[in-house]
Amino acid sequence: MIFQKAKGIYIEGRKGMCKINPLKEYLSPKYVYIPLLQRACNLESQVKVGDEVKIGQVVATNQQQFNIRVHASVSGKITAIKKVWHSSGKMVDAIEIENDFKNQLAETIKEEKNVDSLTREQLINKMELAGLTGLGGAGFPTHIKYKTKAKINSVIINAVECEPYLTCDYHFIISYPEKLLKGATYLMRAAEANEVVIAYKIYNKQIREALQPFLPKYPNVKLFPVKNVYPAGWEKYIVEQITKKTYTGLPAEAGAIVNNSATAIAYADIVENNIPLIARPITITGEGITKPSTFFVPIGTKVSELVEMSGGYIKGLDPIKYHYIAGGPMTGKAIFIDDLVVNDTLGAVIVKPVIEGLYPECLGCGKCADVCPVYLTPTEIKKAMERKDIKLLGDLNSNKCIECGLCSYICPSHIEITEAVVKGKTMLRKGGQ
Amino acid sequence: MARFAGGKAPFLRKYDEKDYGTQVIMKDFIIALVPVILFAWYKNGIQVYLDGNINFLEMLYPLFFILMGAIISTTMEGIFFYVTDKEHRGAKEISQKLSLSFAAIPGLILALLLPLYTPIWVLIFAAFVATIIGKMIFGGFGHNIFNPALLGYAVVGFTLMGVVNAAGGVFNASEVLIDSYAGATPLGVLASGKEIDYNILVKPYGTLSNFFIGTIPGALGETSALAILFGGLYLVIRKVIKWYTPVIYVGTVFVLSWMIGALSGETGLWFPTYSILTGGVMFAAVFMATEPVTTPTNVIGKVFFALFLGVLTVLFRFVGNLPEGVGTSLIFLNIFAIPIDKFTAVIRTKRFSKPGGLYFGILTVLVILLAVYTLVKAGSMYTAFQIPFIGWVI
Repeated sequence: MIFQKAKGIYIEGRKGMCKINPLKEYLSPKYVYIPLLQRACNLESQVKVGDEVKIGQVVATNQQQFNIRVHASVSGKITAIKKVWHSSGKMVDAIEIENDFKNQLAETIKEEKNVDSLTREQLINKMELAGLTGLGGAGFPTHIKYKTKAKINSVIINAVECEPYLTCDYHFIISYPEKLLKGATYLMRAAEANEVVIAYKIYNKQIREALQPFLPKYPNVKLFPVKNVYPAGWEKYIVEQITKKTYTGLPAEAGAIVNNSATAIAYADIVENNIPLIARPITITGEGITKPSTFFVPIGTKVSELVEMSGGYIKGLDPIKYHYIAGGPMTGKAIFIDDLVVNDTLGAVIVKPVIEGLYPECLGCGKCADVCPVYLTPTEIKKAMERKDIKLLGDLNSNKCIECGLCSYICPSHIEITEAVVKGKTMLRKGGQ
Repeated sequence: MARFAGGKAPFLRKYDEKDYGTQVIMKDFIIALVPVILFAWYKNGIQVYLDGNINFLEMLYPLFFILMGAIISTTMEGIFFYVTDKEHRGAKEISQKLSLSFAAIPGLILALLLPLYTPIWVLIFAAFVATIIGKMIFGGFGHNIFNPALLGYAVVGFTLMGVVNAAGGVFNASEVLIDSYAGATPLGVLASGKEIDYNILVKPYGTLSNFFIGTIPGALGETSALAILFGGLYLVIRKVIKWYTPVIYVGTVFVLSWMIGALSGETGLWFPTYSILTGGVMFAAVFMATEPVTTPTNVIGKVFFALFLGVLTVLFRFVGNLPEGVGTSLIFLNIFAIPIDKFTAVIRTKRFSKPGGLYFGILTVLVILLAVYTLVKAGSMYTAFQIPFIGWVI
């Protein structure tokens, strides 16, 4: 009771509007824009304007950090390097490729003959060459996770998708169930783990039904339903639920590696056909979209085209009264101009109305502290942040905030408390240096 | 391309759903007060009317008095908004501000804390102290340090008690009938007599069940433990308050009172029961020790606050010469709500590692020291009992 554990809270899913429409493939846009930014790393362009590129050809790299590689997602001509809106909420440089619709493949893309004899090093090397990153939202390079020295017992596939509105993982799994199981098994081999656990939300019976027929062929794969709460898809929550162990830094301490389900599906293609990470699923949804849909698109596709294919904005939409959110509604970023391109971490674009009102002051009810999954006390962090009390910010573990947004969500006075805590976190990081 | 609205995550708020928000919490507080108000009306109005001691209009007076508390404080805050903000004086703007200021609640609680025979002008004065000095001067709802209603009550209690007593008995025939020494509450008897004796403390008012139901003299809202428990239950079910704050507070008062009784040779459980059923302990436990603005926010802070409150209530009640002790200890602790909140938040995150363990140790030692001091001091006051050498220390 006193050191109570927050167990997550139920949030209305609002996924129905998008679940009814099946996954659509849209693999040949006229133009794609490959952003020269991944996580916080700037990339160097390896091509010049006027070059011809093939699908899967490396177009940008960053050798200093994590050895990042980004590949062309369509074949055609580089026509420009220009600024586009990125899901991080900033404008970044991007390589514009004009599609020639010939779908020429790079020489590296070929079927892998001896899949079963690949060693751990070869499997990890494939991740690195393919530029595989976590497709869940954080976008951490996958090969770094697998280069751990710790003994890994289970590879956990995160198919929870706990944020409301999002359905891209759901649709991706039920469209490619066997690929998921294959990819998950390869990941298990890459970690030399004993088992694969696929965590999904308990009400998503369709995921279980889609995977069930293939399970006998993959004896190491287990399904693990988690509760319908937020943030059930948080890495630490899943690891604690499955392994019953906790950790402070990386899941490897608890003998686990967590990957998003879309990452596993992409990895199946990487291993079997050497197709690098060039496409991902994305959900276009929200009350402001006529026919919310999920797409499988090349990285760099303009979101505006996808919105048009979803029937466009609803009639009479006044943009200034709507949020245009890159990512989930709890952790995403509001984008001012609807000129966004799909990058590796963008799982959804949500257009939903802004609700305005007059809000009361903080009454000190403590609900924000009660729901915090990392047991912080947001109100005190906010006060310490306003006083710029760096020592207190440290004592209050402000750096542990996972920015899940629950404190703002639950606040009965509609206070932007998550924003304040994130500011405190940044202040601590800067002040600590 | 279109220009969309900005904003920060999360873009989903429970506030936007129905039946959620600070307004709902405050509404729940008022609903929880309803059984208390109804009982006060029954005891001071309906029952006396049925006995044939007052006429119909006089029967409505208790309800009128309680509602006056709410109306007066709301009006005062409206006037305050009008006077202080010259640019927004429209009726719509002021009513909008009032809807986010929740003025009615301190007013209601204040009226419930006063005895029925309080003159209206005293109520107006108390409401002024409560809402203007206790709340608006500090910056309005959410910024007040002291519980506004309690501040109003305390100021009246310290300065105008004579006026209230002198005006006593007009609309309160049943109380005068039961209580031979007009207006003396059971705890008043304890403070003046300094003797723990069932025949003096409980007998004149019947049995202990009368204390539970509330048919004893006292302020309007604080006598009936039963009605208060109903309100508290509602608040707990609605998740407005945490159940352990009142339980720990009442439990601490119970245990310490039992020990003081035991030290003076009275080991029966009637005394601690008597102790928690009198002097507004129940009312404070449910409606004031849990009041979100002026008490700590986080779980550990609430626990320590309740512990301190229990110890201080007993200290002021038995050692000091204040019959109630509850109001004084609450006002005193309101000052420390902010530091308690800060230190316990560190305990919450750092657990027992540095500096959480240090803060935890300091707070625990403080509670224990205060409790021991209370026991020793009170024990020696109510009996000839003396712990050897301890007199030199204290």
